[in-house]
Amino acid sequence: MADILDEIEACVPALRRYARALTHDIDRADDLVQDCLERAIARRGLFRPRGTVRAWLFTILTNIHRNDRRRRRRHGAALDLASVPEPALPAPQPGHMALAELARAIETLPLDQKEALLLVTLEGLAYAEAARILGVPAGTLMSRLGRARAALRGLTGAAPEPHLRTVK
Amino acid sequence: MSDISRDDLMAHLDGQLDPARRRAVEAHLAAHPEAAAELALLRRQADALRTLYGPVEAEPVPPRLDPPRLALAAGRRRRQGLARAAAVVLLLAIGMAAGWLLRPLGGPEPHERLIADAVSAHTVYVAENRHAVEVAGTDGAHLSSWLSSRLESRLAMPELAGEGLALLGGRLLPAPAIAGGRAAQLMYEDAAGERVTLYITPAAGIGGPAYEIVRFGADTALYWADAVFTCTIVGSQPPERLEAIARSVFAQLDPEGTPPARPYRDL
Repeated sequence: MADILDEIEACVPALRRYARALTHDIDRADDLVQDCLERAIARRGLFRPRGTVRAWLFTILTNIHRNDRRRRRRHGAALDLASVPEPALPAPQPGHMALAELARAIETLPLDQKEALLLVTLEGLAYAEAARILGVPAGTLMSRLGRARAALRGLTGAAPEPHLRTVK
Repeated sequence: MSDISRDDLMAHLDGQLDPARRRAVEAHLAAHPEAAAELALLRRQADALRTLYGPVEAEPVPPRLDPPRLALAAGRRRRQGLARAAAVVLLLAIGMAAGWLLRPLGGPEPHERLIADAVSAHTVYVAENRHAVEVAGTDGAHLSSWLSSRLESRLAMPELAGEGLALLGGRLLPAPAIAGGRAAQLMYEDAAGERVTLYITPAAGIGGPAYEIVRFGADTALYWADAVFTCTIVGSQPPERLEAIARSVFAQLDPEGTPPARPYRDL
């Protein structure tokens, strides 16, 4: 039991990163992570090491986030694209404009594309593992990933390469 | 090299290709600058995404997301839940036990209440030495006429010497099972000092079975009813002995009636 708690603990920073990118909201993201951890800890006796603890946690978090969004929709809080706030980022510096634009563009992606993009690009998961987490075949994952990337390119235009280089 | 698809380019970007396939894609990129430019764009996109959210991983984790703490809190909640469940179970058990204990007294059937009253009266008065009875059995004629008038039925004092029992006497009691009811309690004693009581009421208005035998702890109550009387015999003797006494009593209380058939239901 202590072992699996350690493994869960090691995943918390990555879970926070994924949740932050999904929600673009610090508090909501940490609420999601907390829900996810509580559920995982309550069921840790049921965990069978078929996959990794990390994949298991990402699956839980993804499902909680989907249910959460469905509930918000039902309660009439339809997400208005125009109301998506400007991401709170440090003062404009070279490259930051492009990042802010990218953040807004990610917010407008359909959820299934956003999940696929974040798991692969941000979390660096293999296609097969990301597909398992999202509960879809690998082909579906790749097509969602492709559509997400195409949409971002359309929304952000040609990202100015030199600026991005400077922030790295 | 037309067999290199967009999916291959993407898989190359995401490091999902085996070495042979990767070399094929790299050769394709070298020969097709527009594909290489496309891939460079996707790479910048991915880099920007990591630049945007990557730093979150390095932020200090707030205490509320600490798994050992959450596990402790969950354990506490579970223990509280278990304690609450245990309390509910205990209350239910107490309620059921109380219900079971009160069952004979609160029983809906009048004859069951008669039996319970007979047992209560037996328990109270057999423990008395000097005041076990109101009127002593030595004054049998007076006892008989007094109880007969109160029960509004002719009641002879059963003679149980044949069963080794001497009449100690009797008393008048309320019979709460019957509205405004009265009961006569007659007490007998054997040579060893074991006491038996008969709790006799008029039978009017009492439905229910003609025979009933119930065990209350160390005592057994044997009840029967005929057209005139109900009689409940209570004692600590074995049921067969009480049954023999019951036959003798019945024959004297109701000489014309048929004696109780086997006055038993399974204990």
